Amino acid sequence: MIINSIYILIATLCFGIIGNVRGKNLVFSSIGGGITWFLYSISSHYIGSSSILCFFIASVFASIYSEIMARILKTPATTFIIGAIIPLVPGGNMYNAMFQYVQGNINQSLLIAFKTLAIAGSIAVGIFFISSVFKASALFNRNFFKHNRL
Amino acid sequence: MDINRIVNLAAYAGKIMLESGAEIYRVEETIIRISKNYNIDDIDAFVTLNIIIISASDKYGQTISLIKRVRQRTLNLEKISQVNNISRHIKDEAYTLDEMENKLSKIQYSKPYSTKIIILFSGIAAAFFSLVFGGNLHDFLVSFIIGCILSILSKSLGLLQANEFFINIICGAVTALIALSSVQLEIGSHVDTIIISSIMLLVPGLSITNAIRDTMAGDLISGISRGIEAFLVAIAIAVGTGSILKLWLVLGGL
Repeated sequence: MIINSIYILIATLCFGIIGNVRGKNLVFSSIGGGITWFLYSISSHYIGSSSILCFFIASVFASIYSEIMARILKTPATTFIIGAIIPLVPGGNMYNAMFQYVQGNINQSLLIAFKTLAIAGSIAVGIFFISSVFKASALFNRNFFKHNRL
Repeated sequence: MDINRIVNLAAYAGKIMLESGAEIYRVEETIIRISKNYNIDDIDAFVTLNIIIISASDKYGQTISLIKRVRQRTLNLEKISQVNNISRHIKDEAYTLDEMENKLSKIQYSKPYSTKIIILFSGIAAAFFSLVFGGNLHDFLVSFIIGCILSILSKSLGLLQANEFFINIICGAVTALIALSSVQLEIGSHVDTIIISSIMLLVPGLSITNAIRDTMAGDLISGISRGIEAFLVAIAIAVGTGSILKLWLVLGGL
């Protein structure tokens, strides 16, 4: 599990280089990818492999990590989110759906395709949820302190 | 101050960001922040995925509007971060117009990593994904080669200005072809692992995340277009790999 996370860390580092990320940001975005995959594999060990909940947990963690890192390093959050989300993208399920379709098992293929969509949706909801919370809290802080000063 | 020059500068900054793959609200914020810093308070910017529209008026009632068309979009996170930093510090550092122009053009022409490095690291990325998805050393080697080839292929097809879906179909087909023939020649051992880890390079991660963030910020037009783009790219990859797999099945391979 840990070795796999290190492999993912190296792979996200490479993705960072392809996306032209430099310096400190590169290191932290790859660490985010590694930890996200580690959380995903731990949760899938306890909940059941490739369950939708695991993807949701991992994507929630990925977006919390990247929002915090974006505030610390003063960089757009996208830099970190892309690195952390890429290992979660359901490429394998997409391939399986296509493979079953090619072999003529339409029912199986539709089942897997639907699951792929659900996984993509759960990742999206994870990012959605956390970014909204962060945005709301930033606005709350600003307004609250303004009122205090008045 | 010259309103023409200020609005052009703001549009230039916005164009760099949009071309590097920034979110819509960030581009709009940058344009408005730069103009407000130079005392143009009455400004509106409307940005979608491939156009920037700005309209501004100064205190004498003189109005100017500007349209910039953005044709190509690449992924360059460093440029986004740098332009963002400059526009956030424009007030503290009190940059003049000349300084801003210099800085922006320096960012625009800053060199990305060299092509060789990008090809090498695409290979490494695919190779390490293959280890995670249950491959052995043979798969590692084949995925590394496929990753390098995909990077070269998409770069050279991009030079020919082929559209994105065509590029993805070709890349998917080449991936499947190399994977199948390597297993046939007993170089690689798992077809599915090799294909899955190699198409990770093509998967539209940027479009998906940006589609979500744009939709959330209320830029529905761009959010939906990016979502459809991601969906079509995924379909294109599946069509490319699927057609080769089907051909292989019909011709009696596997």
